Amino acid sequence: MFEIATRRRPYVLLAISLVIQILLLAVQVRRPDGARLIRVWAVELLTPAERAGSWALDAMRGGWTGYIGLFRANRENQKLREQLGELTLRNSALESQAAEAKRLAALLEFRDAHPDASMLAARVIGGAGTGGRAIYIDRGERDGIQPNMGVITPLGAVGKVLEVYSNTSQVLLLTDKNGGAGALLANSRTQGAARGSGGPQLQLDYVSNDQDVAVGERVLTSGMDKIFPKDLPLGVVTEVKPGNPFKQIQVRPAAGIDQLEEVLILTGRKQWEWETKAAEAAASAATASTATAKKPNAAPATKPPAAAEGEAKAKP
Amino acid sequence: MNPVEIAENASAPPIPVRGISEPRLEVHKFRSGAVVGASFLALVLQAFVPTHVWKGDLVGDLIELPLLVTLYFGLSRRNPSRGLLLGMVIGMAQDGLSGTNPIGLFGIAKTLVGYLASTIGARLDVEHPVSRMVLAFAFFHLHNLVCVFTRRWLLAQAAPLMTVRLLVASLVAALLAWPLFALLDKLRQDED
Repeated sequence: MFEIATRRRPYVLLAISLVIQILLLAVQVRRPDGARLIRVWAVELLTPAERAGSWALDAMRGGWTGYIGLFRANRENQKLREQLGELTLRNSALESQAAEAKRLAALLEFRDAHPDASMLAARVIGGAGTGGRAIYIDRGERDGIQPNMGVITPLGAVGKVLEVYSNTSQVLLLTDKNGGAGALLANSRTQGAARGSGGPQLQLDYVSNDQDVAVGERVLTSGMDKIFPKDLPLGVVTEVKPGNPFKQIQVRPAAGIDQLEEVLILTGRKQWEWETKAAEAAASAATASTATAKKPNAAPATKPPAAAEGEAKAKP
Repeated sequence: MNPVEIAENASAPPIPVRGISEPRLEVHKFRSGAVVGASFLALVLQAFVPTHVWKGDLVGDLIELPLLVTLYFGLSRRNPSRGLLLGMVIGMAQDGLSGTNPIGLFGIAKTLVGYLASTIGARLDVEHPVSRMVLAFAFFHLHNLVCVFTRRWLLAQAAPLMTVRLLVASLVAALLAWPLFALLDKLRQDED
C-alpha cells in the first residue's frame, strides 16, 4: 500500500495540488449574487444527493404509508362490507316491517271504518300446496273462528273459512273451484254468482244476455251468501262474452288474492245475516211495488243460486 | 511506471535511460539557490517590467517569464513532483502579485505545465534550441488553454480561447525561450 502510494507520488501530488488550488479559487471567488463559489459548488454537489435521498425517503415513506393505508383500507373495506350486509338485511327487515305496518294500518283503518262489523285480524301463515287455492291463517277455534266465516282485506273479499283447528284455520279462496260468493254489478245492480275456476280470475254467472255489462265495471258482494256483507268489493269485469243462457263474464278479484299476508275474518256473521235480511226485505218491497205498478201479473225475478243457497243456510 | 519514477524509487543506483543522466542527481544539477533565485527574478520582472518599464505598452503583456522559467526547470530537472510543485508556487505567486486574478488561476495552469514538462523532459531531447522553442510555443497555449477553461468552467467568466494577441504572445514566448533557456543553462552545476 505504501509502496503503491510512493510509486504514484507524482499523480497523488498533482491531484492534491490541483484540488487545493481549485478549493482556493472557490473560497475566493464570489458569484454575482454574492455567494462564494465554494458554497455554490457545495450546494450543487450536495443538492442532487440530498434530492435523491429525499426522493428515496419520500418514496419509501409513501410506499410504507401506502402499504399500511392499503392494509387498513382492506380491513376497513372488509368491515364495511360486513356492515353493509348487516345493514342490507336490517333494511330489508325494516322495509318488510314498514310494509307490514302499512298493511296492518290499512286493516285497522278498514275496521275502524266499519265499527259495527266484528272482525279479527289474522296473518297468512301458509298456502295449501302446489296449485291449491286455499291458505292457512294463524287464527283458530281458540280465537272464536268458525267455518264459513268470511275472510276479507280492505281491498275486497278473499274467501271463507273452510276448516277450523285449534290455532289455525284453512281459508278457501274465491278463486278455488269450490269457492264463490254472491255478487252484483255495481252499475246495474244486477245480481249473480261469482265462482272460482281454479285460475286467477272469477267467473260471474247468472247474468242474462239482456244486461249491459261493460269491461271495467265493478262487481260487489251481494250479501246473499250470508258470508260477506253487501257491497264489499269483489272484483272488476275484465271480459264479457254472450253465452247461452247467460253471459260469460270474467272478473279479476279485487283483493289481490295472490299476494295475501294479512286478512280480516268476519266474526260477526249474525249481524251480516240481519243486515242481509233487512236489505232483502227492502229490496223485495221495492221490487214488488215496482212490479205491481208496471205488470201486476209479472212473475218474481229468479234469484241467483248463491242467494238461494244463502237463504237456505240461513234457515234453521 | 516511467523510467524516472523507477530511478527515483529504486534503492539501487539509478539506471540511465535514453541517455538521460541520473535523475536523482538532477536535483543538484543547478547551483544552490538557482531555482529559487531564477523563479523569484522571473516573478519580479513579470510584475515590474509591465508596470514600470513598458508602462502602457502591450509588449509587457506579451511576455510570460514565470511560464518559461517553470517550463525550463521542469524540462531540465525531469522530476514531475518537483516540477508541479515549482509550477504551483510560481503560479500562485504570480496570481498573488497580479492583484486581479484569484489565487489558483495561474497556479493550476503552471502546476500542470510543471508536471507535464517534467514528464516530457524525461522522454524527449529538450536540449536542442528548436525543440525548446516548439515546447515553449506549445506550453504557452496549453497554459492559456487551462486558464481559459478554469475561467469558463470554474469561475464562470468569459475568456477568449484564441486571439491574435495570444498567438503573438506565444510566438514571443517561443523566441524568448531560446536565449532565456541558454542563459539558465549557465546555472547548471557541473556534473564532474
